[in-house]
Amino acid sequence: MKTRMKRILAGLTALILATLIWLPCLHLLFTRPVSNFRQEQGLSPKARQLAARHLQLWTDPALREAELEKMRASNAEWDFMGRSYLVWSLANMALRDPASKALYVQTMDQIIDETLRLEKQEGMYFFLMPYAKERHYLVQPAHSLFLDSEIALMLAARRVVAEKPEYKSLLGERVNGMVERFQRDPRMLLESYPDECWMFDHCIALDAIKLADYLDGTDHSTLIRDWLAMARRKLVDRESGLLISSFTADGVPLDGPEGSSIWMVAHSLQLLDEDFARDQYQRARKELGEIMLGFGYAHEWPKSWQSQADVDSGPIIPGFNISAGSSGMAFVGAASFGDDQFLAPLAATLDFAGFPARSHGGLKYCASNQVGDAALLYAATLGPLWQKVKTGGKP
Amino acid sequence: MIKIFWQKLALFRREEFLSARDLLQRAAVICGLFLIAHLAGLREFTSVLNGTMGSTAVGVTLGTFLAAVYILLYLAFVVLVPVLILAAMLLAAGQRCIREAESLLNSHDLKP
Repeated sequence: MKTRMKRILAGLTALILATLIWLPCLHLLFTRPVSNFRQEQGLSPKARQLAARHLQLWTDPALREAELEKMRASNAEWDFMGRSYLVWSLANMALRDPASKALYVQTMDQIIDETLRLEKQEGMYFFLMPYAKERHYLVQPAHSLFLDSEIALMLAARRVVAEKPEYKSLLGERVNGMVERFQRDPRMLLESYPDECWMFDHCIALDAIKLADYLDGTDHSTLIRDWLAMARRKLVDRESGLLISSFTADGVPLDGPEGSSIWMVAHSLQLLDEDFARDQYQRARKELGEIMLGFGYAHEWPKSWQSQADVDSGPIIPGFNISAGSSGMAFVGAASFGDDQFLAPLAATLDFAGFPARSHGGLKYCASNQVGDAALLYAATLGPLWQKVKTGGKP
Repeated sequence: MIKIFWQKLALFRREEFLSARDLLQRAAVICGLFLIAHLAGLREFTSVLNGTMGSTAVGVTLGTFLAAVYILLYLAFVVLVPVLILAAMLLAAGQRCIREAESLLNSHDLKP
């Protein structure tokens, strides 16, 4: 009996010691140099692999259909956003890798044309969640800034890479429509869903307007400046200093600051107001970003604002409050601001808990989906598009 | 006959609880189960982590169950297996030290 107890005690001690040794080392299995995920010049290995998988989806209709069916069963928005992120990624890739520009541009055109066709054929509700039909938009005729802003940015990004005359008028129509509605509304808040406005969509809309100014020589700098000043005054959470995610058309907050939104918002602001963008990123990093045992992740809400998990946050892992949505979008924030100390641990977590699967030179993350992987691809490639517009070189 | 064959294989003989061999056996079982789950393609179902179904061919409940099975086996494979192997190595090293110390003591005792 005494010998047995002694053996069990020794076994337990060994297990505890082994755990203490292994857990701090676990991340070493998954940590790679940041250049594996993102490079200053050219394309990183991961960007190439993720892109290969997406290009496969757009050359194999059956594969794409299966992927979209899975996503649309959960959220029709993801189908649309997957297209947007992929087009924006391809624009950056074309600027990074001119040798493959023709392929990237061809795929961008294919995605844009199909998206515009679906919007025209099925109506704007095709890419919106069902509750969009439950109420009427306050401003008629109904427009969703979610759709208009992302389509406009897709068209503009394509034109920055290479001019396409057919898209000039299409971009002009979208941008003029948004500008007109901004100018008509005294609060400068436009609906994405009935009486529901999103910070994400407003920032993307302003990015698209900025790109249109760059491409067509228009000037909406006053509109952009006024909107940002209004957002600073009215749409910032007092506790955290972070921009809130959603609000009514009257500017009443619906959701507070959210990780699934703020990382992309900070990236988007980089084109509009670098200092404000950096301030928002640093606050988000402090309030939402975490590194534990070498693994990086992000919370959906700051400590001062708690809410329920939803379609944007993804499931929240209890105890650590890890949000899949926020952690995925944190890649965009960290990549935008060159925060390699956060990006490397995030990438380690992705390879640890994202369940990567490789086939035919392509890479996908099984724990993610097409829109998640497209956002990761965007994080791995972003930079040149914003840079080109900011430096003001000729289109 | 078959039973005797397996029993003769030391690998499948039940070892003493929390002994080094017992820990290695447990690690081997986890590796085997994870390998089966992986080869069965359960990795695809982990998309439930973002709210998307792994496959529209199976229902949500079954998909979630398969995802949970895979995730638990994966975590066991990545976290628990190395811990079990390390613990077995520590135990083996400890026992060896004890044996050497005892034999040293015995040899001192035998000296006149």
